[in-house]
Amino acid sequence: MPRIDPDARATAAQCRHYAMCKIDYLATGLCPSGPEKHFVTYYPQGRMDLYRGLSEGQIPVTDALLDAADTCTLCGICDPQCHFITGMQPTAVMRALKGYVEDYRREKGEVVRTAEDEALRKLREIVGRDWASNDPAVLWTYADDPFPLAGPQMPRYVVLPGSRDDVAAVVGLANELGLPIAIRGNGGSVFGFVFTDGIVLDMNRMRKIEFDLENWCAAVEPGVTSFELQQEACRRGLRVNAAEPAATVCGNLVCTGTFSTWSNVYGTAADNFVDMEFVGRDGRVFRLNDKRAPNHFAFEHRGVPSPGICTKAFVKLHSATDDEEGLLVPFGGFDEAVRFARELGQRRIGLAVAVLGAHYVATFLSPDEDLAGKLKAALPEALGVEAMVFAVADRYGRDAIRKIAPAVIDSSLLRLLMLGLPKLVEPRWLDLVREYEGRARPFELLCRPDMRPVVEAVLQPSPETIAGAVPEALRPFYRDLYARPEMTDMVWLNMHRIVSARMSRRKHMFAFLVYVPPDRLDVVHEILDGFVRVAEAHGIDHDFGFLTPMDFGKRAILEYDYYLDHADPAEREKIARAMPELDPWLDELAARVPGVLSLKYVFSQGCSRKENFLYRV
Amino acid sequence: MRIGTGPLRKKRAARTSRILVTGGTGFLGSHIAFALLRAGYRVTVLSRSSKNLPARDRVAHLADWLGLEEEERRRLAVAEGDILDPGWAAAALEGPAGPGPVDEIVHCASNTSFAERKRAEVEAVNIDGLRNVLDFAARSGCFFFHDVSTAFVAGKRTGLCREEWVESGEFTNVYEETKARGEVLVRDVCRREGIRLNVCRPSIVYGDSRTGRTLRFNALYFPVKAAVFLRDIYLADIRERNGRKAAELGIRMMENRFLFMPIRIEVGREGGINLVPIDHCVDVFMAILEDSLDGGIYHIVNPRPTRIEDVVDHAKRLFRLDGIETCGPGAFDARPKNALETLYDATLDVYRPYMQDLRIFEIKNAAPVLESHGLVCPEFTYDVFARCMNYAVEAGWGARLLP
Repeated sequence: MPRIDPDARATAAQCRHYAMCKIDYLATGLCPSGPEKHFVTYYPQGRMDLYRGLSEGQIPVTDALLDAADTCTLCGICDPQCHFITGMQPTAVMRALKGYVEDYRREKGEVVRTAEDEALRKLREIVGRDWASNDPAVLWTYADDPFPLAGPQMPRYVVLPGSRDDVAAVVGLANELGLPIAIRGNGGSVFGFVFTDGIVLDMNRMRKIEFDLENWCAAVEPGVTSFELQQEACRRGLRVNAAEPAATVCGNLVCTGTFSTWSNVYGTAADNFVDMEFVGRDGRVFRLNDKRAPNHFAFEHRGVPSPGICTKAFVKLHSATDDEEGLLVPFGGFDEAVRFARELGQRRIGLAVAVLGAHYVATFLSPDEDLAGKLKAALPEALGVEAMVFAVADRYGRDAIRKIAPAVIDSSLLRLLMLGLPKLVEPRWLDLVREYEGRARPFELLCRPDMRPVVEAVLQPSPETIAGAVPEALRPFYRDLYARPEMTDMVWLNMHRIVSARMSRRKHMFAFLVYVPPDRLDVVHEILDGFVRVAEAHGIDHDFGFLTPMDFGKRAILEYDYYLDHADPAEREKIARAMPELDPWLDELAARVPGVLSLKYVFSQGCSRKENFLYRV
Repeated sequence: MRIGTGPLRKKRAARTSRILVTGGTGFLGSHIAFALLRAGYRVTVLSRSSKNLPARDRVAHLADWLGLEEEERRRLAVAEGDILDPGWAAAALEGPAGPGPVDEIVHCASNTSFAERKRAEVEAVNIDGLRNVLDFAARSGCFFFHDVSTAFVAGKRTGLCREEWVESGEFTNVYEETKARGEVLVRDVCRREGIRLNVCRPSIVYGDSRTGRTLRFNALYFPVKAAVFLRDIYLADIRERNGRKAAELGIRMMENRFLFMPIRIEVGREGGINLVPIDHCVDVFMAILEDSLDGGIYHIVNPRPTRIEDVVDHAKRLFRLDGIETCGPGAFDARPKNALETLYDATLDVYRPYMQDLRIFEIKNAAPVLESHGLVCPEFTYDVFARCMNYAVEAGWGARLLP
């Protein structure tokens, strides 16, 4: 057997399945074979899984594996794409996979060919020969994800429908054959919901977006990602309330109802769409707005199955004005930040709003994990920043924020900070800031407009400066990337959410999302303390994520994250031990305090009216 | 009193007392502990562990830095504890493995921050922590308490500040206020318990006037450090990036290779800064310990405060700077501050009351001690300044000093 490269194997095992290599979020172009073949197997993520599968003896060498290896051109696009988010460079794995295949052929190893069975023949009749497979290598790339509470589950078939009618026919056939179906949007999953021993439906071929500007909506097929929809909306001077960039719009709407920092004004769940089209479990097509359709706008406080397979969502479009800018309002304490964010909601000031802790701010702004670590430490310890409120606001909103806030990092200062980040965390500067004893907090001084020339001199902000933080081989790419205005434009970044995908860079993230009443700071603290307590008891890395007000500050969504090395069984075990403590505690809290609700109960009920789960009457 | 002067004198002469120094890894505490060891006393240093090092290792590194002899190290014990923990003494001193009974306490542990935004932390150490130390003093066999306070408990006033208890007053900052409140706490407990008490009140303490060595780089050092930092930023800008940023603020290299940085520093027309080098401060503390058996309050100050203009001149000369000038009140009305001045003004904010100090610190109690030991506070000359600042630069302003 050919040799396995241990470094490549370790890198492959760390793939976060964020599917960011499946969207062209850095305008580098995509891995050439992916958009042609559509199966995740032909994207860097799939090839990472293939190499891991080979190294673990999970899969044989198959036709599809050879094809996946052969179609990799070693163009290197995946290196910056993956590094931007995870800090990893997959080209080494791609090279190792191709090397393995070459050696295997040289050694004249057996290539496994799985025969077409009757079910596959029928599936291929529906979707076309190329779009259904039972090749073990293909199946393997749909069998696992970093979710720590479940092991791999091999499907029997992977099917890529091309239309709503394909979906309906596949559902009918599956019912006839007694095969369960799991739906994957972009072929990425981190919560273990998309596995089955039956048929996996990968919606990657259904990628149409049709804008209906008169009705302020876009009809979106289930293979369209949030990034792609936002990009198209943006081109028309509009925006949508978007999920994580690689998440599919339809999948996210159905699963959790789509929430983001923009939920402050755009809401969540049923607020996000005008209508949705489904293929029901019986294979029949229905629209949510149809009076005869099942009532999926209602909410049940228990885990319920999804309405079916979403084949089209009519997503709401929102207007944007050309004077919107992003800003950060730093605070010396978390409570002050929550009060401020809530006040923005109450007063209808700003659009996107979120309270971020030092961890998220540092992670989002830094293109490198080491730099993020330094910034995370420096924010509270040297600069006196415990939390920040991020906001996007038009000029009137910004004027109002400046009047209320003690200090504001406006868009131009934010750009300086982003491009000068390596200088901001240099020990000599930080020592000076740390020892500063003046009346104003250090960050207040930093924010003063009249200090800007000195800040610029200290930070030397430029694409070159920020590119200095990444490995040398990637510096030219990062230099060119950060020369692009959108990379330091907080409105663009927040709409497309590409930097928030960095939150899994340190380790795989296990996110807990809870709706909370933000006016009850005691409850918010009880929740935070609970997550801290359980994490500490089990030796799990943990950190506050974000809090976004909703519905004019009456409710908010709070994220707290646990981090684990998903490739380490001991770390997975820690989460498995922690979960039984978390669930009853959160349920008890939800029963006691109106407004508290774990997002897990919203899973598959993302089409509900938010009022049905945010309030309990 | 728990001990008469006769037995006290004997104990001191025999060097049988074990003296506990709180804040023993701090600037003053470490130097005092070292001086006590050098004088032959048995010393227990109370120290917290740091993020990277246990207390014992921290003290060992300090002992190396201070040049402690082997024989002196044998009389040194380390107690790991934090005075913020009410049970600190039980853990650090009173267990079977503890260093034994404490006869005298030198209380140096202090939070020296002036910032109001750090009030909670300052009060925690300077009041709550002190209470915990006094609780231990009260229940232990301690017979002498040496409170290392500050001359600035005098608060906001001008003119003569006496070596007397400060019962109330207005203070410049939380540090002054808590140290004053602390003195009263110490006094009340010591009176109640029959513990003898010396209160030593140094003014602003800087490095060793003979060697320039120091452990702390705040107070006097901070504004100089800020100026040197800015100098280096703009020198790099001029040398490596065509000096565009420097030119924006009128910063330029002069023909004599001095860097011209236009910074006006607003100072009062009178007053100065009261600076005492650590070597003199420790010498005076030891002299007071030796002479003042009945207890008392002592200012450890410089009878000749330094004019801020002289400090500015020293800094310009040493660091090859020009353009930094002192100016009188109102100068910024005529010409608003530039960015450097804004930063510098904010930097000096908390130090300003000490830069134009009109307080005259009485040394009625201290004078006889100084005289009997032939101690004179060194002048803050250019040579002393240069020695101290060169050491600071060499030590990376503390970054390269200790692990």
